[in-house]
Amino acid sequence: MNVFHGAVLGTVLQVMIQILKDMGITEYEPRVINQMLEFTYRYVTTIIEDAKIYATHAKKSTVDADDIKLAIQCRMDQSFTSPPPRDFLLEVARQKNQTPLPLIKPYCGPRLPPDRYCLTAPNYRLKSIQKKVSSAGRISVPRLSVGAVSSRPTTPTLGTPSAAKAGAPVSLTGQRFTVQIPPSSQTTVSKSTTPSTPAVSNVLINPSLIGSKNILITTNMVSQSAATDSLKRKHEDDDDYDTL
Amino acid sequence: MAAVQGGMVDEKEEVDIKTEPQSDGFVNTNATDGRQLSPSPGSSSSAGSSKTAAGAPEDQQTLLAVLQFLRKNKLTESVEILRREAGLPEDALDSKGVDCGAPGSGGSAGGVDGLDAGSLLSRVTVSSSAGTPAPTKAAVADDQPDVSVVLSAYSQQGDPALYKVYYSDLKKFIESVLDCHRAELSQVFYPLFVHMYLELVYNNHESEAKAFFQKFSGDQECYYEDDLRVLSSLTKKEHMRGNETLLDFRTSKFVLRISRDSYQLLKRHLQERQNNQIWNIIQEHLYIDIFDGMPRSKSQIDAMSGSLAGEAKREANKAKVYYGLLKEPEIELPLDDEDEEAENEEGKPKKKKPKKDSMGSKSKKQDPNAPSQNRIPLPELKDSDKLDKIMYMKEATKRIRLGPENLPSICFYTFLNAYQGLTAVDFTDDSSLIAGGFADSTVRVWSVTPKKLRKVKSAADLNLIDKESDDVLERIMDEKTASESKVLYGHSGPVYGISFSPDRNYLLSSSEDGTVRLWSLLTFTCLVGYKGHNYPVWDTQFSPYGYYFVSGGHDRVARLWATDHYQPLRIFAGHLADVTCTRFHPNSNYVATGSSDRTIRLWDVLTGNCVRIFTGHKGPIHTLAFSPNGKFLASGATDGRVLLWDIGHGLMVSELKGHTDTIYALRFSRDGEILASGSMDNTVRLWNAAKAFDDLETDDFTAATGHIHLQDNSPELLLGTYMSKSTPVIHLHFTRRNLLLAAGSYAA
Repeated sequence: MNVFHGAVLGTVLQVMIQILKDMGITEYEPRVINQMLEFTYRYVTTIIEDAKIYATHAKKSTVDADDIKLAIQCRMDQSFTSPPPRDFLLEVARQKNQTPLPLIKPYCGPRLPPDRYCLTAPNYRLKSIQKKVSSAGRISVPRLSVGAVSSRPTTPTLGTPSAAKAGAPVSLTGQRFTVQIPPSSQTTVSKSTTPSTPAVSNVLINPSLIGSKNILITTNMVSQSAATDSLKRKHEDDDDYDTL
Repeated sequence: MAAVQGGMVDEKEEVDIKTEPQSDGFVNTNATDGRQLSPSPGSSSSAGSSKTAAGAPEDQQTLLAVLQFLRKNKLTESVEILRREAGLPEDALDSKGVDCGAPGSGGSAGGVDGLDAGSLLSRVTVSSSAGTPAPTKAAVADDQPDVSVVLSAYSQQGDPALYKVYYSDLKKFIESVLDCHRAELSQVFYPLFVHMYLELVYNNHESEAKAFFQKFSGDQECYYEDDLRVLSSLTKKEHMRGNETLLDFRTSKFVLRISRDSYQLLKRHLQERQNNQIWNIIQEHLYIDIFDGMPRSKSQIDAMSGSLAGEAKREANKAKVYYGLLKEPEIELPLDDEDEEAENEEGKPKKKKPKKDSMGSKSKKQDPNAPSQNRIPLPELKDSDKLDKIMYMKEATKRIRLGPENLPSICFYTFLNAYQGLTAVDFTDDSSLIAGGFADSTVRVWSVTPKKLRKVKSAADLNLIDKESDDVLERIMDEKTASESKVLYGHSGPVYGISFSPDRNYLLSSSEDGTVRLWSLLTFTCLVGYKGHNYPVWDTQFSPYGYYFVSGGHDRVARLWATDHYQPLRIFAGHLADVTCTRFHPNSNYVATGSSDRTIRLWDVLTGNCVRIFTGHKGPIHTLAFSPNGKFLASGATDGRVLLWDIGHGLMVSELKGHTDTIYALRFSRDGEILASGSMDNTVRLWNAAKAFDDLETDDFTAATGHIHLQDNSPELLLGTYMSKSTPVIHLHFTRRNLLLAAGSYAA
């Protein structure tokens, strides 16, 4: 859309080089100038666009200096924050340093903060279900129940009780399995309360976690038969889940 | 104490006043003095020419300003209360509209006009900020704590056009004094120049400021060049608001150490003049630490100056520091040493007496300079730790004694194909593992020995092994995962600091994303992310006994953490700029931090207080190293010099010149005989630390005045320079047998 005109680009380039020289930077990779140009362009367009919005909000026909100033200030608070001022830090430090150092409990293994501040909990559950065959040809499939999927993949650590009890992890290659998605407000604890509704809620599933398998997502809304099936399976899930 | 927007102005101001005694710098509450009626030390509030008649109207002005501020933030109740208590008429508020005129219109004598309600408000509420996207970005001064800072802004000290005259006047005077005093009085030039320039800029006299800068910036000392360059880009008031470091410079007093005689000379000269603006500036912004004795020479002054806030006050370095080492626990070496068996192949009768710990102190007396064992809580020794200690002692017996005739061999680990992405390196104490932190936010761990890295088995498999067998520690490892190196993913920014725990179970890494991560070296997964710094964390280090670790970052503080607390235990605040390097003392009771403000501070872990301030470097400090006996500290900075400090006395011992570029690595040998330094100029240099410290012992310290006379004996102390093939050295490590390992990334 908006592209720097060739002639304009030349002068802006000179300005960038001059800025680097003025600030005493003599050694830099040539890509740095490109980065500076991109940044400048993006910053200026953002400010001007914001200023246009403020001007229309104030029902002004043209953008004036006050709009620009306001735009700059708002952006400053959002993107370019700076560390807290010194007197604030000194005050906080004074308060923090008053408490004595806590005593160390002996013989307590790895000294880590409470579990909820660690990254050691799994953020998925593995369930393997033995099917009570009601319709022919149904194979027993392990279910991958995706709980609150965080964007931070963690590898299973020693503290994964369900995985341990289920035996060696079942390989999922080439199998068709269904994903039941409990409401997204789940914790990452594996032994949670049973999932309440089978409705699909707005859970952001990272497709890479599930992989390129055939995924049949069961919802209440899809079809009646599917609904009843899913309900049935739900109960089985609950049963199995309780026994785990 | 959150920075509350539009909160209680009164409370905040009072809190700020209270923090004054504890803080290093003074928050010069000019305007608030009028309200709080607290005596401002030194200069009178709103310094300027005669203010005798200005008392009452000034108070009125400040009260009105505060009223306006409260009103603007819709604190109607507070407005009512303040108006009632101050006895102000109702219409007084409206008459003092927001007058955005430039404070201190030119030519007006005194700073009273500079503090009228409008200008105060304009400072507090003006929302424009730095237009340039250049280096420093800052939050607008809407934060409550900044109000006092803003209100303490520069008041007009007379006619801006005359600043040049005042300055050249002073210059002439100082050039005319006796030689012995001239060096000392010349120290005044730089802070005076900066403050005068900032005043001109702040009061919107752009052209005068530029002229002033051009005329006098060339006279300043060469080591202030970088600061002056930053200053030259600051031409408008809005630019100033964006610069956190400059704000700190403005509010904390620049410390000068001048002998009494020189000081008297200066005082007499300035006070006998009619327009003593310079005297006012000196009183407001400078702290002159007067000592009795001989004036210092230029070289002595140059050695100690260079930091952002001048030198250190003498009482900053007077606290007692327990620099001794903690007593090693007595551990008996076991009878059936494998080594002994190998040697006694012929079956000679082995001596059955257990060997006592010969590494520990021989006497039972407590070292008076050592902290007591339980001054700070330390983790107890586990069995595995005891085994480690036994290994350590065995290795120590095989250690090579280094000296000027017996230099260590150097083994260089070059990281290939890192493309300048290698940002941090660490070795374990027994030199079996190397970890590298990279700009692509990964951490990689390599095994230096032929033994591969293995992960612990999963819980299911662990159930199956025989827990009673002797080699259970081998059996818990999963052979399928054996590899030369492991990659640890988790950070979202370049990894700038890395540190192994002493028991080799954990690895810490600190990154530009503001977190410090603890990784397990048994499972090679991330265990905890410690959030606290919201800005890049430049360095982190485990304590020599494990459990505690320290981190320092862009938010200008260093934090002490324990692995089992998700919040820091101590916050070490006081530096004026980023904390770039953090190191524990060998006895784990003190933490040294080096900063971009060119000072090194030593902090007490128990209380969080700063016990030492070392100035003298002329560039940001990037590396620190404690000597093994805990008495001395070595520091390296971008100016290419290594400085040695005596911690007990708080003085500089020696200056090692030789490197031509930033020094990124410093390490003492295991006995403290040799100091190795590695730098961006692709060399490793070895220095004779024992000699530098020996000379110290025999010297007669003038500890009272804190003068040091440094001999220029760098060439004698330099034992060797070793070049690498265009590989900057970023880490050094002495093995337990005194072999020197170096690490760097090949820069083609």
